[in-house]
Amino acid sequence: MQDILFYVFAALTLVCGFLVVANPISRSPVTSALFLVLTIVSLSGLFVLLHAFFLAAVQIVVYAGAALVLFLFVIMMLDLKAEERRRITRLGLIGGGLVAVAMAWLFRVVPREAALVASGPAHVEGSTPALGALLFTQYLLPFEAISLVLVAGMVGAILLSRKEPS
Amino acid sequence: MTGVGYSDLLAALAPETALVLAAVAVLFVDMGLMRSAPLRQRFLTACAVAGLGCLVTLGILASSGAHLRFLDGVLVVDSLTQWVKVFLVVLTLFTAGISAQAEFTEHVGEYFALVLLATVGMMFLVSTEEILMIFVSLELTSLSLYVLAALDKRTRHASEAALKYFLFGSVAAAFTLFGLSLVYGLSGATNLTGIAAGLRAHRSDPLLAVAVVMVIMGFGFKVAVVPFHLWAPDAYEGAPVPAAALIASGSKVASFFVLAKIAVLGFAGVEGSGAWGQLRAGWLPVLAVLAVGSMVLGNLTAIAQGHLRRLLAYSAIAHAGYVLLGLMAMGYPSQRSAALAAVLYYVATYGLTTVGAFGVASVIERVLGNGRIDALAGLSRRSPLLALCLMVFLLSLAGIPPLAGFFGKFGLFTAAMGADPAGLGLLWLVGIAIAMSTVSLYYYLRVLKQAYVVAGDEEASRIVVPWTDRLVLIAAAVGVFLLGALPELLLGPLARAIAGGNGF
Repeated sequence: MQDILFYVFAALTLVCGFLVVANPISRSPVTSALFLVLTIVSLSGLFVLLHAFFLAAVQIVVYAGAALVLFLFVIMMLDLKAEERRRITRLGLIGGGLVAVAMAWLFRVVPREAALVASGPAHVEGSTPALGALLFTQYLLPFEAISLVLVAGMVGAILLSRKEPS
Repeated sequence: MTGVGYSDLLAALAPETALVLAAVAVLFVDMGLMRSAPLRQRFLTACAVAGLGCLVTLGILASSGAHLRFLDGVLVVDSLTQWVKVFLVVLTLFTAGISAQAEFTEHVGEYFALVLLATVGMMFLVSTEEILMIFVSLELTSLSLYVLAALDKRTRHASEAALKYFLFGSVAAAFTLFGLSLVYGLSGATNLTGIAAGLRAHRSDPLLAVAVVMVIMGFGFKVAVVPFHLWAPDAYEGAPVPAAALIASGSKVASFFVLAKIAVLGFAGVEGSGAWGQLRAGWLPVLAVLAVGSMVLGNLTAIAQGHLRRLLAYSAIAHAGYVLLGLMAMGYPSQRSAALAAVLYYVATYGLTTVGAFGVASVIERVLGNGRIDALAGLSRRSPLLALCLMVFLLSLAGIPPLAGFFGKFGLFTAAMGADPAGLGLLWLVGIAIAMSTVSLYYYLRVLKQAYVVAGDEEASRIVVPWTDRLVLIAAAVGVFLLGALPELLLGPLARAIAGGNGF
């Protein structure tokens, strides 16, 4: 059952991820963004299978909920028609093709010769208490430093989005 | 965390905390008290508060001498990291000094707060041996610098440069993160010594090669080496001058230090070989390729530049190439401490020189309205002080004795020459470096020729240099001269700090 669910979610993630960048039916950025939501939801399904319930919930709340809604707002403010009219150029096609071939080659070579440390069933410390304990002991400093990153980001966003009087 | 309480951690973080408080204080003073004051006064006040914060931080740094290591290397405090932090805070102090008379923005408090926050990020960066913390502090530094680069909203050109810097930077950050996550996947550890131990079983793993290259790519962007340098000329030219000075000096010092840490401590055992004719896979040959590209392309492209700050950008790319030679020498255990001392001496004096050169550029651009090299004609008559300082900084960058740049290069090249115990393996790189330094003399002298030889407009009035700029420029020039004439002033304490440290 677990295995079947894994394949279902993994396939959903890959298919939706593909549809984000190359949707044969619609070229609208809104459709792309909505497929990104689906990708994230199926990713969180994978987290659930790893017993990382907190990460799964955060994945949905933060990415699908907050980040993507923002994305959609921004997209709605842009000129959607121009984006839809844009065709894929030959240069883009060739470049993208080359990258795809290189990535495919990497995916073929690397898994065959490489071994990750955790070769047995993955052990994910995904429960909320465990994560919280880590955040306030071992990773306290990075956790605090992130608050400074947020301050810098906030000051920057206010600064850059304000219209200058002149 | 055994036997370490939160208060111990806070005590060890006193310098960083002081700077964060200074950043908050600048915001409050500027927004709360100085709201209706004229722009000039606001800049001076905010600069004074920020400068005071830097001085307090320097005092704390000078008074603490403890060697501490928290939480498996999340925070490492020893005399070496204290020294690097002193460099960083001094560079920030100088940056604040050359911003005192600026007028590029009305958001004075935010500007100084971001400068201080960027410095806090750099300080975290040098005192950690943990990849998670490295990434978070790298982001803190980068985010603040992106915003600083975009502050000048008066011209299209500046916004374009800032956007370029931001886009390149965020892609590079993604590469760093991906590389680091691969490293974690292979080694199962997040602190650098644990990573080195974990990688022992995976030395010939292709995944490790991908990870090493990705991590070096990310940092290659931060230090602007070819081929990740494309943002540098635009950002140096388009950003407000003091912000560009910070990007070119402090951020470089911190990035080189942490890159050395990651390569030497984290990737220990996967050095490979960069010796001529016997290249072996590892991080040494990767750095060798980047070094050659930077030295050749940086120096040759600098010749064609017509804008002073663009010229400084290409010269920065070339100098990053020289520093990579020092990092490569650190890959050989026999030379490690000598090479580390040489690298730190070089980046510290380079940072000082660059801040000085940008300080000159800032005064000139404020008075002349543009920073083209042609506009420098007759500078020696209009302001002997500016011309003299410019000469000291540029000749130091070119590596003319008795200025600091000469000793820096000398130390780097001797470290690289003696690095390979099996012979003169890195001689080919040193050869290229010396040949390219000769080329660099040409474009530095071209600027000085404009300033000293070419006659300018006879009617042009004298340039008045405000006292804050004068203070910074003279301090930087005297520093460059003193450290060059008496290199032991800096090399001695550095060698002692390295010997007393934890082997790095």
